[in-house]
Amino acid sequence: MTIPIEALKRKKEHFDRGEDRRALADPRAELLDLEARGELVVQKIDRDVVTVPTKYGRDKRIQKAHLWHHKSCGQCGHIPGYSTSIFWVMRKLGYDYHDPKDQTSCTAWNYYASATSNTAAQAAVAVRNFAAANETGFFPLIHCGTSYGHYKEVREELIRHPELRAEVREIMAKLGKQLVLPEEIVHYSEWFYALRHEIAARQVRDVSQVKVTVHPACHYYKLVEGDAIYDPDVYGGQRTAVVTGLAQALGADVRNYSTWFDCCGFGFRHILVQRDFTRSFATLRKIEVMKEEADPDVVLTHDTGCVTTLDKSQFAARAHDRNVGVGVMSEAQFAALAMGAHPYKVCQLHWHSADYRPVLEKMGIDWEQAWAEFQADLKRLERGEKQFLDWDDVDS
Amino acid sequence: MTTTDAAKPDAHYKAPQVAGYADVPYEEKARLFDLVKSDLRFGDYLYGCYECGICVAACPSARFYDFSPRRIAQAAAREDVELIYQQMQEDIWECSQCFSCLRCPRGNNPGGIITIMREVAVSNGLASAREALAGYSRIIYKIMSTGTQVSPDMLQPDAFPDWGPETGDVSANLDLWRRALPPETLHTTTTGWAVSDRTLIELYLIWLHTGSLDMIAEVDASLHAILQELMEERLEDEGIEL
Amino acid sequence: MSADTVAVIGGGPGGLRAADAITEIGGKVVLIEQRDFLGGTPIAENYAGLTPHGEPARPQIERMIEAVTSHPDADVRLGSVVTALSGEPGAYTLTVRGPAGDQLVECGAIVLATGFTHFDPGRETQLYGYYEYPDVVTLPDLESMLSQHQVVRPSNGQPPERVCFIQCVGSRDRHIGNEYCSKVCCGVASKEAIEIRQLLPGSKVYIFYIDMRMYGYWENEIYWPAQEKHHVQYVKGMITEVIAKGDRLLVRGEDTTMGRPMELEMDLVVLSVGMEPSAGTKQMARVLGVAQNKYGFIHAVGGPLDTVSTSRAGIFACGAALGPADLEDTVSSAAGAAMKAVGFLRRRAAVSAD
Repeated sequence: MTIPIEALKRKKEHFDRGEDRRALADPRAELLDLEARGELVVQKIDRDVVTVPTKYGRDKRIQKAHLWHHKSCGQCGHIPGYSTSIFWVMRKLGYDYHDPKDQTSCTAWNYYASATSNTAAQAAVAVRNFAAANETGFFPLIHCGTSYGHYKEVREELIRHPELRAEVREIMAKLGKQLVLPEEIVHYSEWFYALRHEIAARQVRDVSQVKVTVHPACHYYKLVEGDAIYDPDVYGGQRTAVVTGLAQALGADVRNYSTWFDCCGFGFRHILVQRDFTRSFATLRKIEVMKEEADPDVVLTHDTGCVTTLDKSQFAARAHDRNVGVGVMSEAQFAALAMGAHPYKVCQLHWHSADYRPVLEKMGIDWEQAWAEFQADLKRLERGEKQFLDWDDVDS
Repeated sequence: MTTTDAAKPDAHYKAPQVAGYADVPYEEKARLFDLVKSDLRFGDYLYGCYECGICVAACPSARFYDFSPRRIAQAAAREDVELIYQQMQEDIWECSQCFSCLRCPRGNNPGGIITIMREVAVSNGLASAREALAGYSRIIYKIMSTGTQVSPDMLQPDAFPDWGPETGDVSANLDLWRRALPPETLHTTTTGWAVSDRTLIELYLIWLHTGSLDMIAEVDASLHAILQELMEERLEDEGIEL
Repeated sequence: MSADTVAVIGGGPGGLRAADAITEIGGKVVLIEQRDFLGGTPIAENYAGLTPHGEPARPQIERMIEAVTSHPDADVRLGSVVTALSGEPGAYTLTVRGPAGDQLVECGAIVLATGFTHFDPGRETQLYGYYEYPDVVTLPDLESMLSQHQVVRPSNGQPPERVCFIQCVGSRDRHIGNEYCSKVCCGVASKEAIEIRQLLPGSKVYIFYIDMRMYGYWENEIYWPAQEKHHVQYVKGMITEVIAKGDRLLVRGEDTTMGRPMELEMDLVVLSVGMEPSAGTKQMARVLGVAQNKYGFIHAVGGPLDTVSTSRAGIFACGAALGPADLEDTVSSAAGAAMKAVGFLRRRAAVSAD
């Protein structure tokens, strides 16, 4: 008699999630129900969408255009090529957006670091930003993984607790605003995943020689996990599909490593005041394991804190001759490069610490020449020919 | 540092001067735990505990510190007031707040319980909170006064020496490199996180109305006074009375 | 055939025992099975040995089948599905779609024995990679290998040196929504662990668990021999993730009693998948109009002292259609349901004779 291995393998060829019975109800339906009862205002998706599958099988709709960019304080602070690449890709694909000036940070970095805030304040900060988006008619798209995760938490709390809704409504009334939440809370990496085929169709650089590892952001897929995208065609539907799905669509050589699910070590307070923990965790549990098991040219991730931690933690380890040295960037920057973006004028890789030059070479980019081009632009600024570079300059 | 040394014996049995924080009567510990339990999220964050360790295996802090999200959930589920006080003084600031522990099959949220315990530690001025926030005043000032914890001028010389020489290059060229950023909002360190006047007023109203500002009175009285004056003056200029 | 007949829906161990019991006490039965063979999940999933004693499954189930098919008062309809119910208690008419088209079956009472399905580990909220790695299998997957007296790694066909079982997959989980214990997985995993140790004496076999639940005689029949005679390693602590490392699988968890994180490399990982209502159970509940509990199993309305009555008079349920059940529970409740069903239609007959 033979062992039924082939039958076992056939069983696993495709995961069909089917009907799922999960503890938490559909937050979108609950929001619409609360709106019908006059408790809050739901900002609706009102343009073309791409529908994507999530962890428990609920379809999530990603609006393609007319988006309100909820920027990330950390990206604007020290990884400006991250947000610039998001904007650049959106412009290239011809989708309009709004870059607001009446936005605050979600303040969750501070909250998870110091706890010097409370539920009502955190909910009010979130709702104030959502109300500001709603006033413009542009639908919010959130740049930071922590903002995304925290806002999902806030949404859960507001759905569960009528007394919190009442308190936030009262505060919003003092600001002349309503309690507004969007129909879906959407992270930019979901937009990139949803648009991955449009992005790949505009690809001009071959990335098939680039060995990629992916670090998924905890606050994206562990915090209020039901919103995260899971695709049966990526990791058999067993891990979140964002970042990886895009890298695969671009044809990169995506590789596995055994600490894929580990946190990066950011720690919120640790990155600021206990950096020894962050450095140790990022190098020992992430970078060194990737190096040993996958030998990547670049690690792609999708959150401000993760890019920061993985990129900035390698310098000290290198000084101790540890097995580190992997370029770090967001998948937005990687996609922009694949679509022909300038590594310095758009992706702003000179703000990064780990060596990104080998990955540029694998993509066929002459980084010395690109740097010279960027320096020429800086000279123009120094000579006073222009006060600032703008979008016309980066694509010239 | 509190409990980064894994070899340290149970501090609960130590004299206060050795433990680094004052022992307090049982009633005070019970009061603090009651505050934790009275948070509206507590019932969403703790059901029961299987003591199965799924949360520990996923926890980054458990690998580097003598820290265990399972012990946090167990202590809270057992209503062990003494142990919870000890955890509020020793353990809670080691958590990375990554929420990997949300994989709990019971639906517990040990990281969320810690968030609440931290809030109580801050608003009650516990020694652990004072110590954890000692180097943190500048950031709290920033977030409460401008709405962002890290601002576009954060990369100052020598601010992040362990981030490598590239970070030094950024700070040396900060203004010029900012001017080369194509999005209009990123052009300068002041516009990089532009918060309009109206937005700032709205934010101050949120901090004041939710009691968020008052939370820091016990851990940092002078910072609290500075921020309160700043906010009230600004609101007064706008003709807003609280 | 008519009001003196009981219709049994489902031809697994529960349905077979119910049909057998009905004829034993002088009743007539129509047994309706959607598959074209009898025996239910133990046959469909190639079970090796039955829990707890580990005796080969097929000959034992075949004896049950023989008892029913050879009885003159039993009418077995294979490849048949109930599509409608009409009439009233004591005089029901079932529409049965089968190989000969739609047929009407008249009966006085009905026993639902539609059973369970194994939880699909693709829906697990821990990170076990069932659809990613060939060497992550389930209890029934391993059972089908054991039925051929061989255990190999599906990735390379080689016998594994290190094997682990992960308990409570798809059970006792608030996120998934299956809050219940599936009852049998501790015993089945331990039985399979013994069988692996017997087939591969050089192997190391671990069971990672939250609580080991082998009550009654399962304790001395399975748990103790597994530990004492076969040296299966039991570790209290759950696995949070399974991920490839080289050509092996790395499992991560906490050894809670030792209070330390574990990272162990395995050749084969077995997921102890729990029970969910079968598609047939959910479908029949709708067709017959009987209430389901929040998990989709048939709701038993009679409390702990009547485990087989449903929300509709004259319709009874047994075995894993009611919720997680081992074989011992299943045949016991099947006999109880048979007794209730025959008693019901005889009482009706007595009333109408008056």
